[in-house]
Amino acid sequence: MSFAGVLTMALEGLRRKKGRASLTALGIFVSVLALTLIIGLGEGLTAAISDTLTSDDNLRQILLMPGFGERAENKGEEIVIIGEMSEARRARLKRAAMARAEMRVMAGRRTSLIDDASIARLNKIDHVTGIRPLVFERYDVTMDDQQTQATLTFGLDTERKRFAQRVVAGNYFSGPRAGEVLVHEYLLYQWGFVTEAQQANLVGKQLTLKTQDIAAAGAGALPQGITEALRNIEFTEEEHKALTTILPKVAASMGGREALQTAASKTLTIVGILRENEPSEPVAWGEVSLADVFLPDGTAQELFSAGALSAQLGYQRAMVYVDDPVNVVVVEEALKHAGYSAYSVASFVKQAQQALGIVTIILSFLTGVALIVATLGIVNTMVTSVLERTREIGIWKAVGATDLQVQAIFVTESALIGLVGGLVGLGAAAAAMIPGNILARRMILEQTTLPFSGNVFQLPLYLILAGPALGAAVAVLAAIYPARRAAKVDPVKALRHD
Amino acid sequence: MLIEINDVWREYKVGRAAPVQALRGVTLGIEQAEFVALLGRSGSGKSTLMNLIGGLDRPTSGSIIVAGEKLGEMSSRKLSLYRRKRVGFVFQSFNLLPAFPAWENVAVPMAFAGVPRAERKRRALDLLGRVGLGERAGHKPGELSGGEQQRVAVARALSLEPALILADEPTGNLDSATSAQIMALIKDQHAHGVAVVMVTHDPDLATQYATRTVRMADGRVVEPVVAVPEAHP
Repeated sequence: MSFAGVLTMALEGLRRKKGRASLTALGIFVSVLALTLIIGLGEGLTAAISDTLTSDDNLRQILLMPGFGERAENKGEEIVIIGEMSEARRARLKRAAMARAEMRVMAGRRTSLIDDASIARLNKIDHVTGIRPLVFERYDVTMDDQQTQATLTFGLDTERKRFAQRVVAGNYFSGPRAGEVLVHEYLLYQWGFVTEAQQANLVGKQLTLKTQDIAAAGAGALPQGITEALRNIEFTEEEHKALTTILPKVAASMGGREALQTAASKTLTIVGILRENEPSEPVAWGEVSLADVFLPDGTAQELFSAGALSAQLGYQRAMVYVDDPVNVVVVEEALKHAGYSAYSVASFVKQAQQALGIVTIILSFLTGVALIVATLGIVNTMVTSVLERTREIGIWKAVGATDLQVQAIFVTESALIGLVGGLVGLGAAAAAMIPGNILARRMILEQTTLPFSGNVFQLPLYLILAGPALGAAVAVLAAIYPARRAAKVDPVKALRHD
Repeated sequence: MLIEINDVWREYKVGRAAPVQALRGVTLGIEQAEFVALLGRSGSGKSTLMNLIGGLDRPTSGSIIVAGEKLGEMSSRKLSLYRRKRVGFVFQSFNLLPAFPAWENVAVPMAFAGVPRAERKRRALDLLGRVGLGERAGHKPGELSGGEQQRVAVARALSLEPALILADEPTGNLDSATSAQIMALIKDQHAHGVAVVMVTHDPDLATQYATRTVRMADGRVVEPVVAVPEAHP
């Protein structure tokens, strides 16, 4: 019999029991729908993670922070717990003592600094193409009679023009060491320059950055709340003097900055006004986007180095550039081995994608269970169908149908159920992805600062093919037993007239 | 000799009860030009014999040889092809597929034989015309009378031009006028050289149409009778 002949017979069988066939296909529909959505979500999120985080060459960069040294090993040998007690308790107390000793050793020890010497050293690591300190520091900012204390500033890489497009008035920096600043529109708004015209008028004016004293002394060790409080109290000259003597010692004892910042100040020209970042604009890895005043990085380093603190503490962060994304992991390990903390987008993306992959596999497995249940449903339906159509099978056989042809009819019937269930499931998933993507995009933009514009659900070609193919394949498997049963029908019994 | 039946036994096992012997050593030969009536009461084994000849069943022992081949030793597939190519069945209860229109019922054997759809339809309509149902080709069995349904069944039996027609009580469900029409169709096939084996319990029918009547009782051939009118009680 031709395939068309088998198809005719199979379609007729389905047509007569439309309701039952539809209900059976529903199982496949639900499974394929769920599977397509889950895998589509996995695909979309994986792509979204890499697209969002790997924009602006982020994959070649490693964020470097000072390390706190290797963990103290073997300290336990020096600790002896004396007194009458059980060995279990002695071991327990020793463990507690060791943990506390280790914490004391760790505290306050920046063992590996990021300073000019170490940058030169780290630059020699294979695959490292450059290291750029990231300077972000709080200064008291003064312009005419306007002043804001502890304003966050950030040094920009003037070679990379990403910030240039955010300049709404004036110009971008003329060079890495120019005596220029870009001021954020919000700081100016706080100062009372509300309209854009008022703000644009400020281009060309002078602005002074001055290191902080008291707050800077405590920074890094004292809790944020205390530094904030200190800033807001009006001290007498005597009190101020006393505090500037005491605080560094307090801070040092807590592991903070050990010296008082040397007073340094610099007067710079406002070269342009910077607008706030749009949600759709990518944020570079390690960038301090909440700063209110931006300097060319050379100028920022000069100002930072003018303070005595920097010599002792080094830079808080630096960006390490690697020749190729594939070498990032190796370099990251080398930096950690040298006693630094290192973070790369590459390893984060890898970890996130691995985690996502595991979640996708688990969810797919659960959906697979649903698919098995749906398969049993098909077996059930097909067995019932064979029983009901025993007489018909007898007729087929009497007129010369071979066992194989009888099996083919039932397998095709089942495959059609699976295929239709799969196709409709795929269609529903594709339809659900449209509002799903809109909703997810809105949620991501509302709840995070990620510049996300992609699709959370994706439907790659393999997934389009996989749904219906899986439905049909599962249905064919489900039909094997019923079809064999149909082929075994004894025509004599089937045709025995009643 | 078209069909040689040698000492054929057929035993049925039903559950744990003692096996039922439906046929007990039947030996019979059927020639190509014959119209044989298998006459007997219900349970005499006549339908069992017809099923064996038609290759729907296999003998427990003995042999049925058709054109030099033993049916009992054929594979399931070869037996299917034997039924398809050589045999046309006509049943008492018509056994049409209720969901298909008359012409598609006629075309079912051709579908299994791989005849293209257009060709199937052409030949089915032609056959229906020959049995006088040209106008009813699009009707489903439920919309046809008993006689019309049996005519569709006859057309189906003829669709692959068999050498042998096996008719099991073909007029059992029909009134006498309609019966005559059906028998005329079968007789006409016989006239064209097709061998016919007809199972019936009606001696009149056997007398009227068959060239030979084989009486059966208790699974045995009682007295082969050669076209001699029977005495009516």
